[in-house]
Amino acid sequence: MKRKIDLFPYTLLTPALSVTVLIIFFPIVQTAVMSLFNYVIWKPKDTRFIGLGNYLQALRDEVFWISLKNTIFWIVGVIVLQLLLGFVTAMLLNREFKWRGLARSLILIPWVTPSVITALMWRWMYDGNNGVINDLLVRIGLLKSYFPWLANSSTALPAIMVALMWQGFPFFAIMILAGLQAIPRTLYEAAEVDGATRLQMFGRITLPMLTPILLTSILLRIIWVANSMDVIFVMTGGGPGYATHTLPVFAFIRAYKGLDFGYASTIAIFLTLLLIAIVAGYVIRVLRSQEALR
Amino acid sequence: MKRASILILLLLFPLVLFATGQDEGQMATIRFWYHFDNPDAAVTPLVQKFEQENPNIKVTPEFIAWDVYNQKLLTAVAAGNPPDVSQIKLWWQPQLVEMSALLDLSDYVADWDGRDDVFDKIWELTEYTDGNQYLMPLQMVILYMYYRTDMFNELGLKPATTRSEFLDLAKKLTRDTNGDGTVDVYGFGIRGARGGHDWWGTFVLSSGAEFFLPNGNSGLITPEAVAANQWFIDLYRVHQVSPPTTPNDGFQQIIANMQSGKTAMTIHHIGSSKGLAEALGDKLSAAPVPKGTKKYWTSFGDEENGVLAATEFPDAAFEWAAFLATAENNAIWQKSSGQVSINKSNATAGGNRFLKATTDSADFAGVLPAHPGTAEFVESLWPTQMQRAFLGEISSAEMMQIFADHFSK
Repeated sequence: MKRKIDLFPYTLLTPALSVTVLIIFFPIVQTAVMSLFNYVIWKPKDTRFIGLGNYLQALRDEVFWISLKNTIFWIVGVIVLQLLLGFVTAMLLNREFKWRGLARSLILIPWVTPSVITALMWRWMYDGNNGVINDLLVRIGLLKSYFPWLANSSTALPAIMVALMWQGFPFFAIMILAGLQAIPRTLYEAAEVDGATRLQMFGRITLPMLTPILLTSILLRIIWVANSMDVIFVMTGGGPGYATHTLPVFAFIRAYKGLDFGYASTIAIFLTLLLIAIVAGYVIRVLRSQEALR
Repeated sequence: MKRASILILLLLFPLVLFATGQDEGQMATIRFWYHFDNPDAAVTPLVQKFEQENPNIKVTPEFIAWDVYNQKLLTAVAAGNPPDVSQIKLWWQPQLVEMSALLDLSDYVADWDGRDDVFDKIWELTEYTDGNQYLMPLQMVILYMYYRTDMFNELGLKPATTRSEFLDLAKKLTRDTNGDGTVDVYGFGIRGARGGHDWWGTFVLSSGAEFFLPNGNSGLITPEAVAANQWFIDLYRVHQVSPPTTPNDGFQQIIANMQSGKTAMTIHHIGSSKGLAEALGDKLSAAPVPKGTKKYWTSFGDEENGVLAATEFPDAAFEWAAFLATAENNAIWQKSSGQVSINKSNATAGGNRFLKATTDSADFAGVLPAHPGTAEFVESLWPTQMQRAFLGEISSAEMMQIFADHFSK
C-alpha cells in the first residue's frame, strides 16, 4: 500500500525557506560566482570570467596572509577573553547577593550597545593624547607618558580585542549562568558528603555539565567574531598599515575602497571556507560523542 | 465580455504605473546628492528659491556622509540608480568617465550666462583630460596652515615660508611645557589616517616628487622624490615633531589636538575655521603653507556638481547645477558649506584671516592626477603605506615604488 505524503508541514515551511534562500543562499551563490570574475565596478568593460584567477592572486598576496594570520589571532584571542570574563561573571551572578537582579540586567549593557558606539567610545578612551585609559595608567604610575595604543602596530589589534571582550562577554555570562542554574544542587550536595573540594566539584561536576552549552556558545561566537569588522573598521580602519586587517576588513576595503568586488568576493569565500572547516570539526566531534553514548 | 474587459484593464494597469518621460509642462524631479561638513547646515532655502524660480522642476536633496560618498555614488551608478545631480570630487572624475556616468556639459556651459563670473583657474582645473567639461564648479576648498598665535608669540616666532624654516619652527614648538620630563606640545599635527595625503603633498609634491613626468614615467621614484618623502617621514620618526598618535590621527584628532594645544600647527581649510575660531579666538590664525625645495603645493580640495548621464531630465539637472554656481546662490551655499565662493563677483577684499590664507594660496593650489587609480590612492593606498612608513615597516623608496606601481596599472 502506498504511503500518503503529508505536504502540509512543507507548505507551512515554504515561506520561511523562501526568505532564507532569497536573503542568505542567493547572495552566497552570487558572491561565489562574482569571485570567478574580474569585476571592478568602475571598469565595466573589463568584466570577464577568470576562473580561479582571483584565488591564485589571493594566495600570492602578502596582505591576504597577514589578514589570515590576524583573523586567527583575533578569533582565538577574543573568544578566550570573552569566555574567561563571561565565566567569572556567571559564577558571580550565580551567587546570592543583594543587588543580583540589577547586576544581571546591567551586564547586558555592553551587549546591547550598538557596535559603532562601542567603537567610537573605546577609540576615544584609547586616544593617545586625551584618552581616559592613558590618564588612569599615568596617574597610577603604570605608564610614564601617554601611549598611542591604536597607532602602534603591536598594540592596535590587542587593544581592539579588549573592546570586543567588553562588548561580547555578556553573551557567555548569560549562557553559562543559564547552564549553571540547570545543574541539580543534589550533585553538589552529594559531592560535599563524599568530601570533594570546591576545585574537584568545579572540575567533576560544573565543567562537564556546562560542556554542551560552552561548545555551542563558543561555536556561535567564533562565527560572529570571525565575521565582525565594524568595531575594527571604526577604531582603526584596518591600520596602522595592515596591523588590524582581518579577512572581513580586507574584503570590505577591497570592495568599498578599491571597488574590486571580484577580489573582495574571493576573500569572503576564503573566510567562509575557514568557518566551514571549524563548524564541520565541531559537528563531527558532536556526532562522534553521540555515537559513543549509544 | 465583461471578464475580457476586466482582464484588459488589469493588463494595462502596470503600463500606467511605469509610464515615464516628460511631456511639455510635466514636473521634472531632480534627485540631488550633497555633503556639508556640518550635517545641520541646510540646503532647503536654496531648494525653495530654485523651485519658486522654476515651477516645473522639483529638487529632492539627499545628504550623504563623506566617508561613504564615493562608494555610494559608484555603486548607485553600477546599479543603474544614480542621482540626477551629485557633488563630485575631481579625483572621482576618471572613474565616472570610464563608466560613462557623467553627462558632457560642454555645450551647456558654453551657452551659460554665468560662465565668465567663475574664476578662470577653476575652469582650468575642472576640465577633463579629454577636453570636455563634465563638472559645474561649486566651491573652492584650498588648504592652508593653521597656527597657534599664542605659542608663536610666546616663543617670538613667525609662520614659515620655506620647508627648512618650517622644520626649525616645528622643533622649537615641540617641548615640555610643564617640566615633567615628557613632551606635551608638538610642533605639527600630521593626519596619518585617510585624508592625510594633502599634508604629504604639501611637503613632498613641492620638493621634487611628481605623479608623472612629462615623458609619462613615474616621478615618484626619482632620488629627489624619495628624498622628499623621507623628509616627511622623518618629521615623525626622527624629529618627532608630530604626536605619537600620528599614524592613526584623522580629522577629528588633528582638530582636537589644535584646540587642546597638543599641536601648534596643522593643515586644513576654511571649513573648519568657524569651530576652531569659536574655541580659540585670537589664539588661532592661518597662513599659506611653506614652499618646498621646488615650489609651493597645496591641495585644491574641490567639490563640483556633476550631472549623471542616466538622468531623465538633463536640462532641468543642468539648471539646478548652474543655479548653485551663480553668484547670489553660490554665496548662500557657502554660508552652509563654510567654503569659498567660486565667483569673481563674490570675492571680497580683505576678509578674515582664514579667507585671506585661502585666497593667498589659490595661485599655487593643485589637484591630484586625473587618473582612475587616484580614488583608491586617496581612499586606502596612501593611508596604509604612509602608516607603514611612519612605523618603520617599509622604507621611503618602497613606499614610493608601491605608489608608482599602482599608477602604472
